[in-house]
Amino acid sequence: MGLSDLMSMAKPNIEARDKILARIGGKELVNCFQCIKCTSGCTALKLLELKPHEIIKLVNLGFVDELPSSDIIWTCVTCLKCVQRCPQKASPYHVIIALRNLAVEKEAKVPEGYLKAVSQILETGQVDTYQKIVTRKMETVDRECLKLPKICPPKESFQVVFMKAMEEKTT
Amino acid sequence: MKTAVFWGCCILTSQYAYEMSLRQVLPKFDIELVDLPEAICCGDPIKSVNDFSANYLAARALSLANLTGLENLLVPCNRCHFTISEAKKTIQNNTKIGQKIVGLLKEEGLEYNPNIKMWHTIDLLHDYVGLKRIKKAVIKPLKGLKVASHVGCQIIRYTDLGRVDDAENPKKLDELISALGAEAVDYPEKLDCCGAALTRSHPDSALSLAGSKLKAVQNLPADGMVVSCPECQLMFDAKQKDAGTTVGAKLNVPVVYYTQLLGLALGIDEKKLGLELNQSPVDQLQAKICV
Repeated sequence: MGLSDLMSMAKPNIEARDKILARIGGKELVNCFQCIKCTSGCTALKLLELKPHEIIKLVNLGFVDELPSSDIIWTCVTCLKCVQRCPQKASPYHVIIALRNLAVEKEAKVPEGYLKAVSQILETGQVDTYQKIVTRKMETVDRECLKLPKICPPKESFQVVFMKAMEEKTT
Repeated sequence: MKTAVFWGCCILTSQYAYEMSLRQVLPKFDIELVDLPEAICCGDPIKSVNDFSANYLAARALSLANLTGLENLLVPCNRCHFTISEAKKTIQNNTKIGQKIVGLLKEEGLEYNPNIKMWHTIDLLHDYVGLKRIKKAVIKPLKGLKVASHVGCQIIRYTDLGRVDDAENPKKLDELISALGAEAVDYPEKLDCCGAALTRSHPDSALSLAGSKLKAVQNLPADGMVVSCPECQLMFDAKQKDAGTTVGAKLNVPVVYYTQLLGLALGIDEKKLGLELNQSPVDQLQAKICV
């Protein structure tokens, strides 16, 4: 479903728009004058057709109910070029992150990789799993044989506090 | 200088060459690394899930650094450096979120300290150690070596946050390369992203981004690519074959960490720099140095 379809099917929801504004902690979003600098420099434009200026426009018009369930918000590469180049400090990246958070809260479709990251952190404190590496000479090496210090996992108290943090909503 | 170091996840769990080379080169400039008592995630991957928890994790990393009693913290990963920087800003600007996070940290007896000076590998070497000192320390100048630098996205953007180098025209890594006697070639795709952040949602597109950039570098009059971020290295080095398949090109680009290149110029044994761990054909690049 394209973003313009979202507009023709939905009604604006100003309350929801204000929630996004509160999340990103600024009103600069509404200052967007559609210069399209964000989209012209967007890393995800060519491959995945992400058009940050459209997302900003939709949010500004209040079409925010459908965005969290749209796949498009998960195509951002987080290269931050849009934040850097926006002359109005509308910061599409932060709007996209806010929409992703909203998607999780609404239990919309969230790429599995992100949810896995949470469970991995809960389990070990880290997001990646420890790997042995095969060198170019086909030798298998680990931290110990490379004489690197052991990884110290967080104390047990971390799990409880991290869970509490995960229950917190950003608004 | 004694500095605490927050390695993040990627370096500690697979990008050992970055850790090894940093542990080798920094003592040459009288920088002593002090590991944090615990290894945790900086929060970056869960920003998309729950921004608050991401900020909490980043703040926890700073609190762990605070336990060392040191005034400096090295964060060699671009993404960790960004996440912690942004968390600091959020905590400072939003007292409600800040208080909640400080409260959560207190539950574990941790104390949040925003005053620790944060460094990335690039500014630590460029601004603190300085090009002059690096030039002086070089034993084996890398004369004739031409490389393409890749600074990555998150240590240069966005400027309001206070970043390591200029957002549109970063020069520090190139200057660091020149200090070793090598030449950093300029190229149009220099600021292109490695794609790593897409791995969790669109792994093929992530590879496609990495592959396109590698293809561009392969066509340059350059002997390889130099990076300073573990995630970028993972994409360009470890996943180079897959990236090539995705973009339909046979890629053959040696990719090294700047700290590995620096180590070679300082005369450090290649084994200690983890050069065997690189999956890309770095022998090609080393051969150029030996000539």
